[in-house]
Amino acid sequence: MLLNGARGAALLRVRGGGATEMEHTMPVSLRESVQLVSDPRNLDASVEEVFQLMLGVDCRRGEEFSLNERESVTAVVGFGGLLSGACVFKSGAKTAIEIAARMTGMEFSEIDDTVKDGIGEICNMLAGSWKGRVPDLAANCGLSVPAVITGRDYHLHVQAPEFKLNHTYRFDDASFEVTIICDGLQ
Amino acid sequence: MSEVRTLIVDDSSVMRKIVERSLRQAGLDPLVVYEAGNGAEGLDLLKAKQVDLILSDINMPSMDGLEFLRQIRAQNLAPGVPVVMITTESSEEHVKQAILAGALGYIRKPFTAEQVKERVLPLLKAA
Repeated sequence: MLLNGARGAALLRVRGGGATEMEHTMPVSLRESVQLVSDPRNLDASVEEVFQLMLGVDCRRGEEFSLNERESVTAVVGFGGLLSGACVFKSGAKTAIEIAARMTGMEFSEIDDTVKDGIGEICNMLAGSWKGRVPDLAANCGLSVPAVITGRDYHLHVQAPEFKLNHTYRFDDASFEVTIICDGLQ
Repeated sequence: MSEVRTLIVDDSSVMRKIVERSLRQAGLDPLVVYEAGNGAEGLDLLKAKQVDLILSDINMPSMDGLEFLRQIRAQNLAPGVPVVMITTESSEEHVKQAILAGALGYIRKPFTAEQVKERVLPLLKAA
């Protein structure tokens, strides 16, 4: 799957002071703050926040992600604006079901629409929390509605991203992977 | 507290349930909940039902939360009913747009039941 986000010109509209309230536009660039945008600690903090507040669990960085189940769930939320790319969440079926169960207080025996919906929302909150940690990104980068993919033996391919963060996290016996892909930065 | 009729607008059914649970944890009981999956469905519900509180997401397909707010005001639906946005969008610009469109409160996802209580209860008491 190729991810090509919108790269429309992003302008920050700044309202000046004074009686006339003259309005002018100021171009904003993230190029100079690429180190801040790609700081891996922002992703860790976002994952910890979302899982603590929505599931009541302490999530910690884990070792390399290995999928022991054939069936997996992948949620994708796209970024558009100053940064184009995506936030991708991936887990096995058991972890996805565990996350949805903790979010809703319901029990699930398979990946149904509610589980997919819950995983999509987790990815949405991760994307929003991550971009919210860099003010220029929060103000000049939009989010798509989540897309959720389920199945077996599939791969997500992204062509030559500008940068990519790929972390594995664990809580209890569950593990999952979160990836931030930036394929364009203005 | 008397019955609180609440419209929850979010494209995620899971989030609608979490918001409802947070309202109950905040002490809103009895609570009557109407659910809509986007702004257009929310407008249809407001034409048919009277509500005391509206909670809406921003990023939704078909009609987003900001347009939903503008249409509520333009069509004079639910006059005087407090609207609180619950969304992943947290920039000052988004908050400003929501307030300009008529929102009285703003809750960033992820949230706690305590945050919902702090933002919503004062609005209901003032309404």
